[in-house]
Amino acid sequence: MKIAVLLSAGRHPVSGAAVLPRLEAQAIRIAVRLGEAFGVLDGGSAPFGLHAGPDAATVADALGQGLARIEHLVLPEGVDPVPALAEHLAATAPDVILAGRRGQGGGESGIVPYALAAALDRPLIADVVSVAPGDEAGTLRLDQSLGRGALRRVVVRGPVVATVHPDAPASLAYAFGRARRGTIVSLEPTAEPVAGPAIPVEERPYRRRPKIVKGAPAGGSAAERLKAATGESGAAASGRLLVDPAPEEAAREILAYLRRVGVVAPDSTRPNS
Amino acid sequence: MHSFMPLTTVFPGLVWAMAALALVQTARRAALWRVGSAAPVAWLHGLARLPRRYLVDVHHVVARDPYASRMHAVVAGGLLAASLLTALAILPPLAQSRAYWLLVALAFAVTAVGSVLVGARRYPAKQKRLSAGRFQILPFLLLAYAVGGTLTALLLAVGTGGIALPFTLALAAAGGLGLAFEVRQGPMRHAVAGALHLAAHPRPGRFEGRPDTALQPLDLEAPRLGAEMPADFTWNRLLSYDACVSCGRCEIACPAFAAGQPLNPKRLIQDLVAGLNPAEPPYAGNPYPGGREAEGERGPLARLIGPDARIHPDTLWSCTTCRACVEECPMMIEHVDAVVSLRRYQTLERGALPEKAIGPVTELRQSGDAGGRPLPARTDFAAGLDLPLMADRGQADVLLWLGEGAYDLRYGRTLRALVRLLRQANVDFAVLGPEERDTGDLARRLGDEATFQALARENVATLAKYRFARIVTADPHALHALRNEYPAFGGPYTVVHHTAFLLELIRAGRLTPGRLPDLSVTYHDPCYLARYNGETEAPRAVLDAIGLARVEMARSGKRAMCCGGGGGAPVSDIPGERRIPDLRMAQAAETGAGVVAVACPSCTAMLEGVTDRKAEVRDIAELLLQAVEAGR
Ligand code: SF4
Ligand code: SF4
Repeated sequence: MKIAVLLSAGRHPVSGAAVLPRLEAQAIRIAVRLGEAFGVLDGGSAPFGLHAGPDAATVADALGQGLARIEHLVLPEGVDPVPALAEHLAATAPDVILAGRRGQGGGESGIVPYALAAALDRPLIADVVSVAPGDEAGTLRLDQSLGRGALRRVVVRGPVVATVHPDAPASLAYAFGRARRGTIVSLEPTAEPVAGPAIPVEERPYRRRPKIVKGAPAGGSAAERLKAATGESGAAASGRLLVDPAPEEAAREILAYLRRVGVVAPDSTRPNS
Repeated sequence: MHSFMPLTTVFPGLVWAMAALALVQTARRAALWRVGSAAPVAWLHGLARLPRRYLVDVHHVVARDPYASRMHAVVAGGLLAASLLTALAILPPLAQSRAYWLLVALAFAVTAVGSVLVGARRYPAKQKRLSAGRFQILPFLLLAYAVGGTLTALLLAVGTGGIALPFTLALAAAGGLGLAFEVRQGPMRHAVAGALHLAAHPRPGRFEGRPDTALQPLDLEAPRLGAEMPADFTWNRLLSYDACVSCGRCEIACPAFAAGQPLNPKRLIQDLVAGLNPAEPPYAGNPYPGGREAEGERGPLARLIGPDARIHPDTLWSCTTCRACVEECPMMIEHVDAVVSLRRYQTLERGALPEKAIGPVTELRQSGDAGGRPLPARTDFAAGLDLPLMADRGQADVLLWLGEGAYDLRYGRTLRALVRLLRQANVDFAVLGPEERDTGDLARRLGDEATFQALARENVATLAKYRFARIVTADPHALHALRNEYPAFGGPYTVVHHTAFLLELIRAGRLTPGRLPDLSVTYHDPCYLARYNGETEAPRAVLDAIGLARVEMARSGKRAMCCGGGGGAPVSDIPGERRIPDLRMAQAAETGAGVVAVACPSCTAMLEGVTDRKAEVRDIAELLLQAVEAGR
């Protein structure tokens, strides 16, 4: 079992410091757990990181967060990393390739894993929160996040690319000593350099978006108008308020709500309805 | 006459034999200390200061339990005097003197009295905080030696003896040789290890009147970071753990123990001793709350921390680094240093921080704030107040260090009060604003020395850009880091706690508070101000200056109990049976005071978080502002 984690140069969303993107740190944790499950934690077969770009220093944090080795494809600034990555991954053929669902503070196009999956002709499972060995040999069991806590379990056979969802378990702690011991291997890609697609970006200072006021009552009391203006009559206010309900009634309401938002499957087996 | 002549030589010979046996036992023990790593020790200085350190510093702690203090003075004094006098009787002129033997008998009699005092603490029932095990036979050994010695000396003094002498001498020999034997892994080890530890203490500053409390910087280039196994500790630390007398004073002072978290400082030290020495007799004191049995391998190279090792990680992460144990330890053992060394290995080498602490430490490393909040938002608490920035001014008399509390809504109230007081007193001050990073205190206590050092370097570089006379801060954790720990990173600053600074302003007449006689208040000492920095008077003086009715809690000043907020304990959040702040608030309630005065953002947050609180929690700055406004 060979596991690769794609690493990208990221920025901290608040401080702007060069950091490993959080999703990729979470991907490392998934990779480490999977490696443990397959007993490939040490030596050359342990999960490794892969970075394509001008400088590996920004992803070196991954060495402290669970990976022992990073392979660095040295590319000039502005070059599309996909051809080099695809070529390298085709040669090394990891069974599982993990990536964040999108970068953090870089291009953030979220497209690289898809481009790689296409180039390698592999399935891509998006937004996973865990990857574990399947019950049958040669299969993997992936849990995909559907949002709001809902999960879908997928079992795949053969090599796969998976992107990691923010709901995955939090990253491992950074261990300075491990980072010190880890290695970064620099590799010269042979693929022809292609300039990356220019992503049209525009920078604007952040401003909280005004809330859209739906169905503001023309009349009504000041409190009602305020409620409408602050969005308090939105989704949160549309529920039913039950004061001191009977436990059965409360349970029914909760179940009905969970069905409505899709966490619990719709009820189709009730005999008398 | 002829028959007892040789006995005047045999008896002193017994003491010499005891000394030889004790020496052999010490040497066997010392072989274990030598597996520790090297440490610089000023031996000559230490040995010269030994009597003073014992009589002043140790006595200061021991005397808090007057019974134990008297007991120890009588039994140890008697034992030393009697043994020395007997040993000297190897000289024929003394051996011939009946008056001399009378003197010896007297010294042994004193020892016998002391032995009874020792026994009375253990029989019929042992005091709860004491350990049983080998300590339970100590009174008998002492008594045998003392009574045997008294009788032998008396018989030699009166010059009869005859048939009784061999029996009394045998009794003395049984007790005396037993005591000497116990030097290796029994109760008497504390005497030898304790004396050597006083001379070779890793924090000699403690005895020279400075609060020597800064954690020692870790060399991040070292091949192994922190302590994984006993051999990773320096030899004088291993020696210090051997000095433990299992008195349990640390245990009853420990807030985590009181809260039923799985930490008992006595057990922790004893686990370090037992980890080093596989032959150590079993531990016989109170267990870690939760009652986990010791397991795992032992020996100088055995792993100490782990779910399957001698010390469970939860034990390690329960410590609030409050130093209450260190303050109470009569053997001057440094528990917090041990905890931090062990944490350093776990964090730096294994990344084995407690799950809940990973987020805050990661944010601290990546963004300079444990909450990952924007640094410019640190001054948001002061919206509407004029808060001058150092970046605009370049210099000021006072640099106001805001600390992490500035992000907290509740604590913002305190800082606003402080800023208004400074304005009122026309203090020339400024803040770093967005340039201020966390001091790294949290990272350092949790063992992440790399992050601490990085933050310290950044802050030192920032501070180097500006000219100021002093740093004032309301956060004792920041104060401790800036005042005591930053000098190692090139930042020697004069740092003043806000309570001391406000007192100065009052005394200089720059603040003229009115009086608030209707409020009754009890002051909760922050560990990092009282124990780490020895400052207990200024906050009380400010409260007295505004005429409050002040009452003290049973535990106050340097012996106060922690609020539970230090050492990363709130982020590690190791479950216990109770919560530390609840215990402290209950102690405050016992005083009947309506207000608990605090002087630290962590204490404010912890004590404010207590449910069903009867008393209000107010910072001293808030109380002073109220008094100043009342005085107008
Ligand atoms: S420092 Fe405080 S919490 Fe830690 S062991 Fe000592 S008394 Fe207990
Ligand atoms: S560590 Fe100190 S206070 Fe605690 S039991 Fe040992 S000697 Fe007593």
